[in-house]
Amino acid sequence: MAFFRSLQDSAFTDWFLGSSSIWTYPTVLTLHTVGMAILVGASFVVNLRILQVGSAVPPHRLRPLYRFVWIGFAVNLLSGVVLFVTQAADRVADPVFGVKMASIALALGFGLWVKRRAIDPPDAPHMTDARSRALAAAALGLWTVAIVAGRLMAYLKA
Amino acid sequence: MQQFSAWVESTRLSQALFDTTWLWPACESLHFVGLCMLIGGAGLLDLRLIGLFRGLSIRDVKALMPWAIAGFVINAVTGLLFLIMQPHLYLGSAVWWSKVAFLAVAATNALFFESRLAVPALALAPDADTPRPLKIVGAVSLFSWFAALYCGRMLPYLGTGN
Repeated sequence: MAFFRSLQDSAFTDWFLGSSSIWTYPTVLTLHTVGMAILVGASFVVNLRILQVGSAVPPHRLRPLYRFVWIGFAVNLLSGVVLFVTQAADRVADPVFGVKMASIALALGFGLWVKRRAIDPPDAPHMTDARSRALAAAALGLWTVAIVAGRLMAYLKA
Repeated sequence: MQQFSAWVESTRLSQALFDTTWLWPACESLHFVGLCMLIGGAGLLDLRLIGLFRGLSIRDVKALMPWAIAGFVINAVTGLLFLIMQPHLYLGSAVWWSKVAFLAVAATNALFFESRLAVPALALAPDADTPRPLKIVGAVSLFSWFAALYCGRMLPYLGTGN
């Protein structure tokens, strides 16, 4: 706990949050939103396809979308770490933050599981199997929970 | 504009909405979900129009459009609610008007695609490269949606009206 407190009270935090420049907090926050649009946008498309939206699309052809998933995730991991550091002590004590992290971990895990089952095989059938559809539905719900939790963190401050 | 903004804020509707404390964060959350639906669906079509994702036919990718449009409608409704609740944050802000301008570009571009380019585009083979007009439409679309996102997210920091 003392470690997280020291991060939150560090000179970096003072500079990052106290600066009047738009290139510190506002830009990192905006990058976090751009990354979300790419990561969750691409995940929505893949998971909707697994749920038979756009069922004429061969599932295997959506494989390159996972590149966008990883790009969006990398942007948000980096920007997220910076945002976390500046509020580290508050966040580790915040159950809403825990919900957000758990939802993201599960949504990504389910997304990868779906990828292996229904996207990776070059001859993946157009009609996806029931387990893949269940995983995709769960992933869609979990991404939505992650977004709502992320937004509410700004209101439910400890 | 300041008078108009003051009038909107004085209406019972504006006050009743703003006094509903959960409504603002709920709209923000929905605005983000709608954004992901819009960028996901429209973005894939844009990338295909630019010439990426060969093997997907434009006709098939368009099956996602109802989801992108649903995302746009969610964001139009929640955006309108923000505007009714706190018009002074937006109507006097050059950044907000820039966002409106980018949205107008994106919408005009989409309507232009639908009315002038969609028929030949839908006839393209799944593996076909796209002609230059389609590449331009796809690039303009991607740019204007992300520019609108940038303006919206940076609005509180790039100076607001009062």
